[in-house]
Amino acid sequence: MFTRRKFLGLGAAVTTAGFASSCSSVLPEPDVQAAGFGQDSTGTVQVWCRAATQSGLTDLVKKFNASQHRLTVELTPVLDAQYVTKLATAIRGRSVPDLVDIDDINSMLFIYRDAFTDLTEPLSELAFRDKLSPGHLRLATKDKRVYGVPYLADNSMFWFNTELCNRADVDPDQAVTSFGNLLEAARKLRKLGDDIYAWSFPANSPGALGFVVQPMVWAAKTDLIQGTIGSQSGHIVGNDVVRQMLELHRQLWVDGLVPRANFSDDASRWGSDFRAGKVGIFPSNYSVVVSGSDPAFHKKVTPRLLSGPDGGSAFFDGGDNMCIPRGAKNASGAWEFVRFALDLPQQIDLPAGGYTPVRSDARTGEFAEKYPLATLPLEHIEQGYAPTTLSYNLLYNQPDGPWLQMFRRAVFDGELEAAMKEAQQNYDRILRQGQA
Amino acid sequence: MSTGVEVRSARPANSAGRPPRRIGRGSLTHPSRTGLLLVTPAVLFVGVFVLVPLVFALVISLTNWPLIGTVKFSGLKNYTAIVSDAAFAKSVLYTLLYTVIVTGPILVLGYALAVLVRRKRRGSTLLRTVFFLPFVVGLSTLSFVTVLEAQPESGIINVVLKDLGITDGTTAWLVDGPLATGLICVLVVWAVSGLTMMLLMAGMQAIPREYYESAELDGAGWWKQEREITIPILRRTIAMAVIISVIGSLLAFSQFYILTRGGPGTDTTTVVQYIYNRAFVQLQLGAATALSIVLVIVVGLVTAAQFRLLREKD
Amino acid sequence: MRLKNTFYVIGGGGAFLVFAVPLLWALFRSVQPNDVIVAAPDAKTFFHLTWDNFRTLIEGPGNLIRAVGNSLIVALSTSVLTMLLATLAGYGFARFRFRGGPVLFALVVVSMMIPFQAILTPLYLEMNVLRLTDSLLGLVLFYTTVNLPFGVFVMRNSFSSVPAELEDSAHVDGCGTFRMLGSVLRPLITPGAATVALYAFLAAWTEFLGALTFLTKDKLYTLPVALVNVQAGAYGEVNFGSLVAGAVIAMIPCVVLYVGLQRFYVSGLASGAVKG
Repeated sequence: MFTRRKFLGLGAAVTTAGFASSCSSVLPEPDVQAAGFGQDSTGTVQVWCRAATQSGLTDLVKKFNASQHRLTVELTPVLDAQYVTKLATAIRGRSVPDLVDIDDINSMLFIYRDAFTDLTEPLSELAFRDKLSPGHLRLATKDKRVYGVPYLADNSMFWFNTELCNRADVDPDQAVTSFGNLLEAARKLRKLGDDIYAWSFPANSPGALGFVVQPMVWAAKTDLIQGTIGSQSGHIVGNDVVRQMLELHRQLWVDGLVPRANFSDDASRWGSDFRAGKVGIFPSNYSVVVSGSDPAFHKKVTPRLLSGPDGGSAFFDGGDNMCIPRGAKNASGAWEFVRFALDLPQQIDLPAGGYTPVRSDARTGEFAEKYPLATLPLEHIEQGYAPTTLSYNLLYNQPDGPWLQMFRRAVFDGELEAAMKEAQQNYDRILRQGQA
Repeated sequence: MSTGVEVRSARPANSAGRPPRRIGRGSLTHPSRTGLLLVTPAVLFVGVFVLVPLVFALVISLTNWPLIGTVKFSGLKNYTAIVSDAAFAKSVLYTLLYTVIVTGPILVLGYALAVLVRRKRRGSTLLRTVFFLPFVVGLSTLSFVTVLEAQPESGIINVVLKDLGITDGTTAWLVDGPLATGLICVLVVWAVSGLTMMLLMAGMQAIPREYYESAELDGAGWWKQEREITIPILRRTIAMAVIISVIGSLLAFSQFYILTRGGPGTDTTTVVQYIYNRAFVQLQLGAATALSIVLVIVVGLVTAAQFRLLREKD
Repeated sequence: MRLKNTFYVIGGGGAFLVFAVPLLWALFRSVQPNDVIVAAPDAKTFFHLTWDNFRTLIEGPGNLIRAVGNSLIVALSTSVLTMLLATLAGYGFARFRFRGGPVLFALVVVSMMIPFQAILTPLYLEMNVLRLTDSLLGLVLFYTTVNLPFGVFVMRNSFSSVPAELEDSAHVDGCGTFRMLGSVLRPLITPGAATVALYAFLAAWTEFLGALTFLTKDKLYTLPVALVNVQAGAYGEVNFGSLVAGAVIAMIPCVVLYVGLQRFYVSGLASGAVKG
């Protein structure tokens, strides 16, 4: 007889079983030191990539699949804002891709949760190991073990429209020496015409905004986060550099130096105004400025590193790391694909898809000639930075994150003090919750 | 099959509607074992997918339970943290505000529509169908359409407002807290009043015609008839419709997720969205579950309070 | 009386426009190409209508047509399963007396008051343990559960209104329980079952939160989740044309089913929602 007691008993049993077996979400680690790892693999390799950098992967996959017939790579683009969620639920569901091409800024979160395979040994066997971007590797290293391989670099810079600058008598090198000079340059540029704007920023895209605006703080050797993982907190209230960065953007907005459309610009058509020759100064990346425009326009632009209130320079050392999730079925095939992706021909070709190489030996004379606008960050690789934190996604990439909230409140509503105070609280809260 | 036909011809179906006869326990024709067997699948579903999670929720809420990583028991920490969680408090207040804004208009509009279609007249069936269509189509689908119509310059909302000379047509509806809230409220009122209409209409049609006829003889106007006949009789139905709409509002998610993702900032983040974010974006299932339990209690309290209100008026 | 008629014509006509025009407008938008949709209206291009959006939907990135298929599979399965389980349970609760019967019935009905949104996290973990996340079957079982309480309620009422004599005489003819259900009672409970099936289909067809939470694989995405990806630009620049075309496809079954089976829908509202 099916009684209530039996029913509840059954419920309790299921609950307990569920509790016990789902406690651990750590999947088995593939054996990367087995003989023949990364050689002569067969089958398919499931690869996830970020929607934002999918152009950098699509051609690579095509080339790889055409280069041999043993392995087939299947590429799945994942929205940046959903990447962490999707990967985490896939891990929880024990059904992970063989390789993830992940925003380097998000790799640490998964490394701390034992979700990625330790690649230290296979990595050390690569002949060009010491040529790989140190910034990318830093974001994949925990306790001297490396869990990811850099694949492409995506760096933020100032892009100046030289034609407009000449007409407005603006010298880019002079402009980047201080916020004051930038603002002055902006005012001159705006005077060129009603439909010519000085500047443009995607104020409704948290990720892109963090990508181009944060380095203006880093250039002054400070950050919005302080401390190391485990004891991090916000560094906003009382941080004068943050205040000046917000004031600069507030001024750009109030004085009408940027298009009104910046207010709702979610970067879905990012840079269309700059590429149309209507904007003088444009913090952005190679992909947006160069890939989407014609060669004639390339002659009209020049990149500079992003700068702080009193000069200095920095850029977002962004891009993708390739990581093999634990539980990957074809880790060997994945590693074969990684090695292919890191080969010089592929690396040198990256700017064609909008990105820059992660191997310093890719910057050959031939490269510099072919992609003159892509060399700047490679020359200043040591100035690249990205914060090491478990909460980057929450702070900067989510539309409801405190970064976007602070920026919009300070810049559009003019409530600078309140915005910074609110952000400080939310940064503290999210960092605290993320480390718990 | 032949049996069915014979039986039906012997006893026409018009005797349906009679109250069921009491059936003796474990009768020959209806053995209790069979009865149990019949209901078991449904009860199992409800048990496995409603009751077990509900019990399980209590356990999860006492741990840090990350979406990935190792589980640690954390006692009541998740609950004590709720008190100081300003972002959660904000989402609760926002959800209440949203509920307060939409409930009245949904009821009023639903009532008015019900009045329009309650009598059989030319076209009343067509009207009823059309009024109810948005509800049938559903808020998530309607939200996708709203996304493109709310775009600056190109969306029809802005184009119309510009042509009427009200705005310059560049309003970015979805990236401004109050504007987005206003837009979503209009969308929701438009989309779900049909349900209220249907519920009230069914009630109105059950009121005997004679009530109104005698009131009309007394010279009572339309509004007086509604106030003195319809509303008092329908009080329970009205309360039911309000409860359904309030609970729906408290649990709102799709339209907000699709239209604003809770932004700009957290300005349009509802409770369910906040819980969803805590669980699946911040990857903190433990904390999210503690918040869920609060939600279960709040929804329960609202239901209870409204039932009580209803009873007191009786 | 005349005043009332005028009110009816004006009010009814006005309201008709308010409710019908936006839906027709969406239909119209879906045959405008994307570049017309994203631009300020221009009389020159505004009526250049095309099927491009629907073509992109089928051939373009994101494979929205597969999502439509998934939604259809899930909604149909949910509909059938809910109807089946609700019918059995409704019969059991209406016509059989057994220990714990009233308690179990109360349990099923009370579960209607526990919003699934509020038990999403434990449900997710449980489904995960049962290997039901990232599975259309899991989604079907979940949707079925959400729709069952209402279904059981409706079906119990259906069975209760069937005269008991009908069953008695069939029993005299030696009719067993399942034959009784399948042939004797079936014609009489069909309206109730249709109501349950219709509600379950519509509820499952564009359900959003559950699908968003329980599905990770693109191949399994149902229509609303796939549309979120289109809207957020997972496949490059946001294509509003695909978005609105997808939304229109999502509307079609709802409108057709509702208009065709309105009678069942309304009776469901009357028996389930109002009395419940």
